[in-house]
Amino acid sequence: MKSTKFWIIIISIVLIVSMIAALAVYFLHGTGNIACIYQDGALIRRIPLDTVTAPYSFDVTWENGEKNTITVEKGRICVSSAECPDQICVHTGWISDGITPIVCLPNHLSIRIESDAHQPDGLVQ
Amino acid sequence: MELKKLTRNALLTAIALTIFMIEAQIPPLVPIAGVKLGLANIVTVFALFAYGWRDALMILLVRVFLGSIFSGQVMTLLYSLSGGLLCFAVTLLLRRVLTENQIWVASVIGAVFHNIGQIMAAVLVTATPGIIAYLPVLLVSGIITGLFTGFCTQFLYGKLKHLGQFK
Repeated sequence: MKSTKFWIIIISIVLIVSMIAALAVYFLHGTGNIACIYQDGALIRRIPLDTVTAPYSFDVTWENGEKNTITVEKGRICVSSAECPDQICVHTGWISDGITPIVCLPNHLSIRIESDAHQPDGLVQ
Repeated sequence: MELKKLTRNALLTAIALTIFMIEAQIPPLVPIAGVKLGLANIVTVFALFAYGWRDALMILLVRVFLGSIFSGQVMTLLYSLSGGLLCFAVTLLLRRVLTENQIWVASVIGAVFHNIGQIMAAVLVTATPGIIAYLPVLLVSGIITGLFTGFCTQFLYGKLKHLGQFK
């Protein structure tokens, strides 16, 4: 039997480490400008965000007929509306260069920003 | 005695399911999947400490199964199960090393592992390892909500023990 103090210290350490990691994830920026849209783990569309001139939207439909409407602007992408129950993908909002993906679990959809392996990244250009 | 046990488990399952369904109606405070209070875990942890792992596991499985049917989302079953079972296993191990006054610790660490289990399931389902980026935020929220439900469990356990509801 450990003392209560032992458990408080363990929990505090985990809490502090997670907080630092959460802040790091929030402020870190990835290197990439190509939005990759995955459905059930398979890449279905790649959009180089820098080349987008006028904003546009398109739909991605999952097996059950539910649609996610994705909107693209120059340099950023978001799910503007969705027919999934929880709407978490819509609430995530725009992503441009963050390392957090947009995820819609009910419709098995995820959008990540990746860098093109064949070209030098934005910093070099 | 067997009938009394059956009735008691049915009652605890009904309470857990009710809490689970009401909590599902509360709109999410933050736009991150998996951030929730997890109030239904109060019943699981309580049953585990008061009545043993068999009863607690039964209550957990029936609640998760019926909960996903009533909420109408099959995906809920996968995420609830992966999180719930990992949380249960860890709570079970902790029960051996915790005293009666440290039940809240089991709830906090259980909540942390619940989030880890859900993230693992989400990574496997969507094949997107980037989802792990959500883990730190979920751990912070898990510790806070785990503390809350943990103290609820602690007080519930203390009160019912005082009333002589279990030995």
